[in-house]
Amino acid sequence: MDLEQTVVAAETLLKPFTVGAPSREVSRIDVVIRRADLPAAVKALVDARWGYLAAITGLDHPWPKPKPGAKPAEPPAEPVGPIEDRLEALYQFVNGALVATLRVSVTYHDARVPSICSIIPSATLYERELHEMFGIIVEGTPDTGRLLLPDDWPDHTYPLRKSFKGLNRAV
Amino acid sequence: MDTQQEPRKTFVVPIGPQHPALKEPGHFEITVDGEIVTAATVRLGYVHRGIEKGVEQRNWAQAMYMLERICGICSHVHATAYALGVEALAGVQAPPRAQAIRVLVAELERVHSHLLWLGVAAHEGGFDTLFMYSWRDREMIMDVLEGLTGNRVNYSCNVLGGVKFDVDDTQADAIRRAVDFLEPRTHHYLKVVTTDETLIGRTRNVGKMTFLEAETLGTVGPTARASGVPRDIRVDSPYAAYPDFPVKTITATAGDLEAKFVVRIQELFESYRVIREILDKLPAGDLAVRVKPRVPPGETVSRVEAPRGELFYFLKSAGGPNPDRVKVRTPSLCNWGSVLATAPGHKLADVPMLIAGIDPCFSCNDRLVTVRRRSTAETWTWAKLRQYGIEYYR
Repeated sequence: MDLEQTVVAAETLLKPFTVGAPSREVSRIDVVIRRADLPAAVKALVDARWGYLAAITGLDHPWPKPKPGAKPAEPPAEPVGPIEDRLEALYQFVNGALVATLRVSVTYHDARVPSICSIIPSATLYERELHEMFGIIVEGTPDTGRLLLPDDWPDHTYPLRKSFKGLNRAV
Repeated sequence: MDTQQEPRKTFVVPIGPQHPALKEPGHFEITVDGEIVTAATVRLGYVHRGIEKGVEQRNWAQAMYMLERICGICSHVHATAYALGVEALAGVQAPPRAQAIRVLVAELERVHSHLLWLGVAAHEGGFDTLFMYSWRDREMIMDVLEGLTGNRVNYSCNVLGGVKFDVDDTQADAIRRAVDFLEPRTHHYLKVVTTDETLIGRTRNVGKMTFLEAETLGTVGPTARASGVPRDIRVDSPYAAYPDFPVKTITATAGDLEAKFVVRIQELFESYRVIREILDKLPAGDLAVRVKPRVPPGETVSRVEAPRGELFYFLKSAGGPNPDRVKVRTPSLCNWGSVLATAPGHKLADVPMLIAGIDPCFSCNDRLVTVRRRSTAETWTWAKLRQYGIEYYR
C-alpha cells in the first residue's frame, strides 16, 4: 500500500468522527474528534488493522499571557478557539510512513477522556502517563496507580502542565 | 482476622529494584504457582529524570544534549530524531554528507548495541564464554566510535542542521578494519546460537510470540521482527541518508528467543554492509547548515529506528527560543508488554532470559505497573534468579 492509499484509508475510516477538515502534511494527517467519539474512532482503526498506536501525547495550551500594559482578559467559561485554554490529548497511530493523529481537546475543569484500553490493552501505560503528567482523567482505565512519579509526589500536581514551575518543598 | 476464602495459594517472587547483577533499577514481581509463572508485573520509574519538562526550560540547541542523555547505549538516535524534527520545523535540511555521517554513526551504534545485547543475553543464560567473546569484539566498535567522536558513549555527533565532525581516510580505514574483523566473528556467533545445544535448550520455543500477538501488543524493532512483523522505520519511512543507503528488513517467523538472537545477529551483517557502502560513497560537501535559534511555530513527528525499535519524537514549537513540548516514546516501553504477556506459563527459570530477550533499557522507558496480591513473599536478587535459572537447566 503506498502512502496515498494509506492516507485515503485513514481518512475514510475516520470521516464519521472528524470535526472540521483534517490537516495534512506529507507524512502526517491530523483529525480533530469529539471526546465521546474517541473509542469509536480508535475501534474503527483497530478493526481495519490500520497501523498501531505509537504514542499518546499530552499538550497544554494555557490561555495566552496578556500583553504588557493591556488589561488581562478573563478566560471565557467555555473554550473559544480550537486550542486556547485547554488540554489536548493526541492519539498517534502509525502505519508505514504515515502518522495519523486523533486530537481530543478537554477543558481544565472537565479534563476527562474515555479509556481505550478495552480496544488496545497496551495503551494502559500511555493513559497512566497522560493522567500523571497532565491531570487528564482517563475514565475506565484499568490501573490508576503511580507510574513514573515518586510515591510521595503531591496529589493534583501535574508536572507537564505549563503552570507547574517546581515543587515548593521545605528543604 | 481474614475470614475471606483464600484463593489458590500462589507465591510472589519480588526482584529488585536494587540488585548488583542487573545494571539498571527495575522492580519485578513474578507470581508463581509451583514452578510455573502465572503473572508478571514490573514497576519502573526509578531513573525517571523529568527530561521532557527539562527541555522546555532550555533552548533548542541545549535540549539536544539533554535528550541525548536519555540513553547511554543508543544516545545517537535520540539526538538524530530530535535534530531531524527540529530541522523539519525550521524548514532546513542537513547536507547529504552530514546525513550520511549520521547514518554511519547510527549503524556503528547499532553494532555496539546488538553485540552488547548478545553478551547480556548469553550471560543471563549462563553462557559466559559467549558473553566474554562478544564484549571483547564490541570493544573494536567502541574504539572506532571513540576515535571518530572522542567519546565511548554520548557521541555528541549531531548539531542542529548537520554533524560536528568529518570522517577522514585514516578513520575510514580504522572502521573498515574493525568491520572486516567483526564480520567473520559474527558468522561464528550465528553458528553458535543456532547449534549450541545448551543455549538452544534455553532459547528454542521459549517466549514464543505469534505474528498476531506481536502485532496487537504493539511491539517494535527486533522483538517484532523476530515474530515476522516487518516493522523497521529505516525501511517504512526512510530518514537521514537511508533513502540513499537502503537496508533490508530482517525478519524471522519462529517468534521465540532463538529467533530474537538470529534476527539481531543477521541485522549486524546488514549494518556492516551499510557501513562499508557509506564509507565508499560518502557524499562530498558541507557538514552543517545554519539553524536559527528561534524555530517557527509548528508541530512535527520524527521517527527513527533505534537498536531496540521505533523511537518516536513529537516536537511542538511556539515560535520561541525553547521547545514548547517534546514527547519521547522509546521502543523499550512498547516491548515491555510482550514480556508480561508471554511470561505466564513459562518456568520461573526462564524469566531472566525472557526479560533479556527484548533488550530492555530502563533509563529509556522508565515507566510501569505493579499489581500487588496478598501472599507470602521472599525477595530475591537478580543474581539469585539468574543463578536459579542456570542451576535449573544444569
